[in-house]
Amino acid sequence: MGTESLPTIESAIPSALLQFHQLDQLRMLARANSLWPLTFGLACCAIEMLSSGCARFDLSRFGAEVFRPSPRQSDVMIVAGTINKKMLPAVKILYDQMPEPKWVIAMGNCAISGGPFAYPGQYNVVEGADTFLPVDVYIPGCPPRPEALIEGLLELEEKITGNRRWPRVKPETMVKG
Amino acid sequence: MSSLAQSQLRETFELNIGPQHPATHGVLRIKVVMDGEYIDRAEPILGYIHRMHEKMGENRTWNQFWPNMGRLDYLSAMAYNHCYAGLMERAAGIEVPERAEYIRVITAELNRIQSHLLGFGAYIMDLGGFTPLMYAMDEREQILDLLESVTGSRLTYCYFRFGGVYNDIDDDFITGTRAFLKRFRPQIPMYHKLVTGNAILMDRLIGVGPISADMCRKYGATGPVLRGSGVNYDIRRNEPYSVYPELDFDIPVYKECDSMARYMVRMDEMVQSCRIIENALNKLPEGPVMAEKVPKALKPPKGDYHYAVEAARGTFSMRTVSDGTNTSYRMRLRSPTYSNVSLFEEASRGMLLSDALAFLGSLDPVIPEMDR
Amino acid sequence: MDRAKIKRELENLAAEGLPAEPPQEETPVEVQTEAEGEDKAKPKAKKDEDVPRKNGLIETEYAKRGTHLDVQINPDQVVKAAEILDAEGMTLEMVTGVDWLKEGQLEVIYDYSYPGGQLFRVVVRARLDRNNPDIPTVCHLYGGANWHERETWEMLGINFVGHPQLEHFLLPEDADFYPLRKDFKP
Repeated sequence: MGTESLPTIESAIPSALLQFHQLDQLRMLARANSLWPLTFGLACCAIEMLSSGCARFDLSRFGAEVFRPSPRQSDVMIVAGTINKKMLPAVKILYDQMPEPKWVIAMGNCAISGGPFAYPGQYNVVEGADTFLPVDVYIPGCPPRPEALIEGLLELEEKITGNRRWPRVKPETMVKG
Repeated sequence: MSSLAQSQLRETFELNIGPQHPATHGVLRIKVVMDGEYIDRAEPILGYIHRMHEKMGENRTWNQFWPNMGRLDYLSAMAYNHCYAGLMERAAGIEVPERAEYIRVITAELNRIQSHLLGFGAYIMDLGGFTPLMYAMDEREQILDLLESVTGSRLTYCYFRFGGVYNDIDDDFITGTRAFLKRFRPQIPMYHKLVTGNAILMDRLIGVGPISADMCRKYGATGPVLRGSGVNYDIRRNEPYSVYPELDFDIPVYKECDSMARYMVRMDEMVQSCRIIENALNKLPEGPVMAEKVPKALKPPKGDYHYAVEAARGTFSMRTVSDGTNTSYRMRLRSPTYSNVSLFEEASRGMLLSDALAFLGSLDPVIPEMDR
Repeated sequence: MDRAKIKRELENLAAEGLPAEPPQEETPVEVQTEAEGEDKAKPKAKKDEDVPRKNGLIETEYAKRGTHLDVQINPDQVVKAAEILDAEGMTLEMVTGVDWLKEGQLEVIYDYSYPGGQLFRVVVRARLDRNNPDIPTVCHLYGGANWHERETWEMLGINFVGHPQLEHFLLPEDADFYPLRKDFKP
């Protein structure tokens, strides 16, 4: 029996009859407000990721504090650190093991572009997580501050639901330290 | 070793821990051959975060190598800064003003407390207790605030320069540091009350992972691992650098050789670091924080140079081979956890798997520093 | 630890390894420079710095170099040197490899320190032929040398004869290059 002969759901049921738009929106809202990141620290950025989950920065205010050690229980991968050629297959496997829907945040310059370790003639660093993963949000910094990670997660929420839950702070209104 | 492990009729199986595993503090991988619940052979496999620091030392100028020092051991970056500054000052013969040396010591010791705090919190988290991490991180954030006010970054400091430090500390930093010490001192007895006396913790740590002093010597283990095995060896005392000889502090040494001893060394070191900081703040002289006439393009004479400091995890030393140009011919970084973890294979033989992870945590590895 | 004993034994070891020919070769060179006059002696002396150092022991100034004794020996003597230092309770801190491309040589540097209280640092170095970089391992004496030698092999291609596990360590398993060699091109 060939797979082509099986009718797909889209063709069998007319789209006008059944619509899950409202339900989908609700599901996405729930997902966006309870992102479960994978406990996956590579280098320096992992410490800032840990800091943002702990006292003071308290990531649980935004529903993203449930760090799961297993990829099968998590839905956002925060690539926190440098990926090198030896680690690359492992990162790929971890991403493939995560259930859909899933998102990727590239945290820090190393995950964005190789950061300080990318230079002509280098032999071991993968220059950016987006060379092999579909990255949704980029957070620059070396390492980014915990506030930046929180902002990145809010950006991801906006990407998932389509609107932003928290007001965006304009740079000119920020208190200059 | 169990009687099962000694018998001839045994079946072993392989278990792979890592590279992504919450108990390995990063991307360390351990290939374990198990005999039931007991470890037959545990081989650490490194390289999952090898970032070519030694190669980078060869293809950039001496000054351009500074940022790398903050990214080796991101938890005690100041000590690494200190080593590189000391190395190049030795090579080029630069005199450092006294105030700069005091500032170096103050920031490096604050950094050491911060590192041990995170080590303490993460270690207890490995063993199953989550709350101490929250307490430790609360204190740690205050240190980071202080260091951020003078260095400009939270973790990956690049604060020292050849011949001094980047900028002077101000009164806010000094009063802030004093206030922090006043607040932090009573916290440590509280940690002991809360955590150290806990029966579960004592069961999991006392007698686990014995390392003899001779084994430490054979493997080149240093820092709290060596001092937890009863050897009074600390670069700050045995090979004095900077202004440490003028400061008043003790080296905590425990003779038990187990995980608990290593844990206690770290806890006591925080108290001693507080003493050093207070002492240095009292003695802080006035004056410049940068040496005069430090050439922009440093060209140390030909030859090789060696410098060692006491980082939070043990002896960090650098050896550089200079060929008289403005780049290094060979830059060798000797990181403490590299040697400390190398004894894991021998020491973990015949251990229970759960004990082995408690033992690994007591070595307090930072993986990017091991892989370099 | 006995500083004088270590110094004496290492000095003897280095002297054992000295080949018999160099003094004979050196004399005609000296005669030549004397014959040609003082003008040519100066560039000759400068050239001497580039010539690889001869085997032997140098007492280095700690404040300038960070080490006390610096001894260069033949590659086959490193185990003997390690035995001498091990008997005195020294620890092996690190193993460094250096690629001297111009001279066609590789250098292995062993850093020893004393963990017992006194400050004493010894450097043992040996030069190898770049085309045939074989050196005996000191793994059986110092367990910590295992990883250091393995890394030096991986980065520079120095073959530690007798090493139990000369496999890839920091680089991926399929790496077929020695990144810290000076002629390495990715």
